[in-house]
Amino acid sequence: MRVLVIEDEERLAENIVGALRETGLAVDRASDGEAGSYLAEQGVYDAIVLDLMLPGKSGQKVLRDLRRRRLHTPVLVLTAQEGKESTVELLNAGADDYVSKPFDLGELLARIKALIRRAKGVSTPVLTVSDVELNSVLQTVNRRGNSLNLSPTEYRILEYLIHRPSVFVSKRELLEHLYDFDWDHHSNVIEAHVSNLRRKLNVEGAEPLIETLRHRGYRLCAERNVV
Amino acid sequence: MRSVSITRRLILTVLVLEIFSAIALIGAITVHERHLELKAFDATLRGSADSIMGAIQDGVNDTEDLVLDMPGMQLPKDTVFRVEDERGKIIGSVGQVPEQIALSATNATTFQNVKVSGRNYRFVVRHGIRILDPSEARGEVRRTITIVYGTPVDHVWHEVLEAIRFFAIATAILIGLTALLMVWLVRRCLSPLHELALQAEGITPKTWQFESPASAMEILELQPLVRALEAALARLQRSFEQQKRFTSDAAHELKTDVAIVKSSLQLLSMRKRTVEEYSRGLALGLDDFTRLEMTVQKMLTLARLEQPSELATREAIQPSCSLGEAIEEAVHQSRSFADLKEVTIVVQIGTTAQVPIDRRDAVLLCSNVLLNALQHSPPRSSVHIEMKVTGGSANLTVRDQGEGIRNEDRLYVFEPFYRGDISRSRKSGGTGLGLSICKAICERAGGSIEISNLTTAGAQVTITLPEQR
Repeated sequence: MRVLVIEDEERLAENIVGALRETGLAVDRASDGEAGSYLAEQGVYDAIVLDLMLPGKSGQKVLRDLRRRRLHTPVLVLTAQEGKESTVELLNAGADDYVSKPFDLGELLARIKALIRRAKGVSTPVLTVSDVELNSVLQTVNRRGNSLNLSPTEYRILEYLIHRPSVFVSKRELLEHLYDFDWDHHSNVIEAHVSNLRRKLNVEGAEPLIETLRHRGYRLCAERNVV
Repeated sequence: MRSVSITRRLILTVLVLEIFSAIALIGAITVHERHLELKAFDATLRGSADSIMGAIQDGVNDTEDLVLDMPGMQLPKDTVFRVEDERGKIIGSVGQVPEQIALSATNATTFQNVKVSGRNYRFVVRHGIRILDPSEARGEVRRTITIVYGTPVDHVWHEVLEAIRFFAIATAILIGLTALLMVWLVRRCLSPLHELALQAEGITPKTWQFESPASAMEILELQPLVRALEAALARLQRSFEQQKRFTSDAAHELKTDVAIVKSSLQLLSMRKRTVEEYSRGLALGLDDFTRLEMTVQKMLTLARLEQPSELATREAIQPSCSLGEAIEEAVHQSRSFADLKEVTIVVQIGTTAQVPIDRRDAVLLCSNVLLNALQHSPPRSSVHIEMKVTGGSANLTVRDQGEGIRNEDRLYVFEPFYRGDISRSRKSGGTGLGLSICKAICERAGGSIEISNLTTAGAQVTITLPEQR
C-alpha cells in the first residue's frame, strides 16, 4: 500500500513518514499544496494524509480538486483547528477522517490503515481468501493453520492482492502501490518477490493460490474456495 | 446616583414656563379688565347722573323752583346721590353723600373714590345748567346744578375677578392639555434613543453587528452619539478580533510544535531500536522540544511587552541602555548565522544614544531585526546597519539585499505569526513573532518601527526611538 503525506512542517512530516514506513507502507511526501495536489492526482495512492495549512495551495483546495477529478482515494486530514464547524466542513468537502494536532502517532497509523481497508471494501483487519488468513495489524499470514514467514515486500504484495481478489493486478500497479519514489523501479523485482511468495504459500495439500497471466499480471484465485 | 429623567425635566420646565406666562398674562388681563370695567362703570355712572339730570323738573310753586321727579326710575342698589344748585339748595337726594367729596369749581366732570359705611363707592360729580321756564315773568333764571352720584364699586371688582377666574380656568385646562401632549410628543421624540439602546443592547462578544437605526440617524442631536458608538465598536471589534486571531494562531503554533515532539517520541518507541537509533531519536526530540520552548518563550516575551508599562513610566526606575552597545551585541550574536549564510554585516554607528529600553530588550530588538534581514538575504550579499541621532531621537536602519517586501504584506508584517503567506510556511524558520516583539519593544519605549522597500533591491527596517538625556 502506498500513502502520500502532504505536510509542510518538516519534522512532523519526517515522523509521520517514518512511522508509516515502519508499518510496511510505501510513503511519498509533498511539502506544499501544489506538489501535493499533483502527486495526489496521479491516482496511485491508497491513502492520503493531508495537512490543512499548506503553502502554495491550501489543504481544503487540494481536497476539493482531488474530489473534482473523481479520485476517491481516502483522505485523512491533520488539523490544528478546533470546532465542529470546520470538522463538518472538512467532511463535506470530501475528507474521510481527521485527527487534531497534537495527535497520537499510533492512532494516526490505525486510522490510515482502517481507511485503506475500508476503501478496499474490508472492515476488519483480518482478511481471508480461500484458506489464507492475513492479519493486517500483526502483519502475519496463516495458511491452513501454518504460519508463513514472509518478507515485508512479500507480505505487502499478498496484502495488496488480497484486497483485490479475482482481479488481474499488473506489475505496474503493484509497483505503483508498493513502492514510493525513493525506490529504484524494476519490474523484475516484483517477479522475484511474487515467485518467492508463491513458493512460500505452497503448503502441502493446498491449491496454488496466485495465478500468473502473461502481460496482464497476477490474480489471487478466490473462487476455488467455493468448491 | 440619582437618575434624572429628561422627559420629566423637559415637561416640568415647559409647564413651569407655561404657568409663569399664564400668571403674567392673568396680571395683564386683570389690569386691562379693571381699566375696561372702570371705564364702563364710569360711563354708567355718568349715564345715571345724566338721567337724574333729566329728571329735574321745574317746580310747581315758587318756593321750590326745581324738583326732582323720577317716578319709576330704577336706581341700582345702594345708590347714593345728591342734587343741589349753586346756592347749595338740595333738590333731591338718596342716602348720605359723604362730606369729603370735593365739588370742583370748574364745570368738569370728576370721579372720586370714597368709602361709605365701610364700602367702596365711586362718585361722579356732574355739573349741569338748567334754565327755569322762560315764559314765566320772573324772567330767565339759570340754575347751575351739581349732581353727586355714587354707587358701590364692589361689583366692578366682582366682574374683574370673574374674568380672571375664567382665564385662570381656561389656562389651567390648556396647560393640562399641553402637558399631556408634551408627554406624548417627548416620548415620541425620544423613541429613537430607545431604539438605539435596544440595538446597542444586542451587542455581545459574539455578535458585533451594530446597525445604527435610521430613526436615530435622522436626529441631528443623536448623530454624534451614533457615530461615537459605531467608532468605539469598530475599534473594540478590531482589537477583539486581533486577540482572537492571536489566540488561534498561537494555539495552532503550539499544537504543531507539541505534535512534533509527541510524534518524535512515539516514533522512537514504536519498536525496539539500537542504541544509535535511540540516541539520534532523542537528539531530534530534544531539538523539537527546544523549538516548542522557543515558541512559548517568545509568546511570553510578547505578552510581557504588551502589558501596559505603568510601573516603568510612573516610577523613577526607567530602563535605559546604550543603543550602540545593543547593536554591537546583537551583531556579535548573529555572526555565526551570518557566516553560515555567507552574508557580510556592515555596521555604521555615528554617535550612540541612551534609549529608554531595558538592555535585554534592546539587544532582542536589534538581533530580531538583524536576523530577519539575514534570513531574507541571498548568499554573498551584505546587511547594513546604520545608527544616527537627530533631534532628540535615535534612528536605526537595517538594510538587506533580499527580495524586498510585498506591498500587501507591509501592513501586516508586524502582526503576530504573520509570514507573508496564509499557510505560515515554517521552513523559513522562526515563529513569526520576531517582528511583533520588535514592534512591542519600540511602542513601549514611545518609538516606532517601519518597513519599506529600497529603490535598489532589498528591504529596509527603520526604527525610531526617543533619546534619553
